[in-house]
Amino acid sequence: MLVDLFSKKIFNMSYQFAGSFQEAEDLTQDIFIKLHQSLSKYDLEKNFTAWFLTLAKNYLIDEYRRTKWQKKHRDDFDEHLQSAPISDDPEHSLVEEENKKILWEGLNSLPNDIRMAIILKEIQGKKYEEVAEILDLPVGTVKSRINRGRIQLAKVLKDRRESGHDM
Amino acid sequence: MTCDKIEGLLTAYADGELSLEEKASVEQHLEACPDCASLLSFVRSADRTLAVFPEIEPRANLRRKLYAIPAQKKFRFSLDFLLKPSLQPVFAAATVFLIMFSFYMFSPDKNQINKAISRQFHRGYSQFEKLSAKAGSITDSLGAYADNVLVSLKKINPLSKNGE
Repeated sequence: MLVDLFSKKIFNMSYQFAGSFQEAEDLTQDIFIKLHQSLSKYDLEKNFTAWFLTLAKNYLIDEYRRTKWQKKHRDDFDEHLQSAPISDDPEHSLVEEENKKILWEGLNSLPNDIRMAIILKEIQGKKYEEVAEILDLPVGTVKSRINRGRIQLAKVLKDRRESGHDM
Repeated sequence: MTCDKIEGLLTAYADGELSLEEKASVEQHLEACPDCASLLSFVRSADRTLAVFPEIEPRANLRRKLYAIPAQKKFRFSLDFLLKPSLQPVFAAATVFLIMFSFYMFSPDKNQINKAISRQFHRGYSQFEKLSAKAGSITDSLGAYADNVLVSLKKINPLSKNGE
């Protein structure tokens, strides 16, 4: 069933992109409605996952463009995303958790096309070729966007850390 | 190499995707430039953090709504059609009409406006009557003219002679 296979992926993609839990739930529903409306247009020879993620990506970016004045703030990281420490060293895991908070907020500083590329490649762990297929762009363009996004996020992290990050 | 140039190569360097020559140039720059060396360490740190970014399970309530979508779809009433750009002139005209109507409704000279409208209506109606009377007389004269033409044609048409 499509919901079992894709609901978590689409919900997380929406949440990472939009930054609001409530909005991500609404967006996920809208994307599944769009999917049901568009299933007749699906070409059986194409990769279904890539086709569906492209549909989701287009919907998210269109919605962002339509209502971007509402999207200046993201949920607090602690509200829904606080996870178990990944290191036994308490100091190290504290640094990691703070880095997550900084990068979660830093995602908002990225332009929407770069943010989407970073979410797919760096957070969801897809290959450049898969990201290029979903974004419907040449691999070179995707690499360039991801490169710019990674540098921008590294600068956000550097600035916040060097200015004495206070969460 | 400048810092800007190095910045463009830094992620490829972190991923080990540079040629030996480029790698040597980047390393030479990093040894001399603490800012770029620091940025590289933050690139690696950001990469590590993003790779373990937590994923969350959608709530059961959302899943229930998603399962219900195919059934809902058949009965779903949508007002999306109101957002069609082709309806914009209709909305603009309706807005103008409503503004004029509200001026009329709340005007202190409502009676005078009513009289003016009534005058204009009667003037228009009488003009219509005049025009229809004129049109009737034109139709009559055209009919008479057509009869004359038919009579003339019968006279000069050789076939009608044969027929006689």
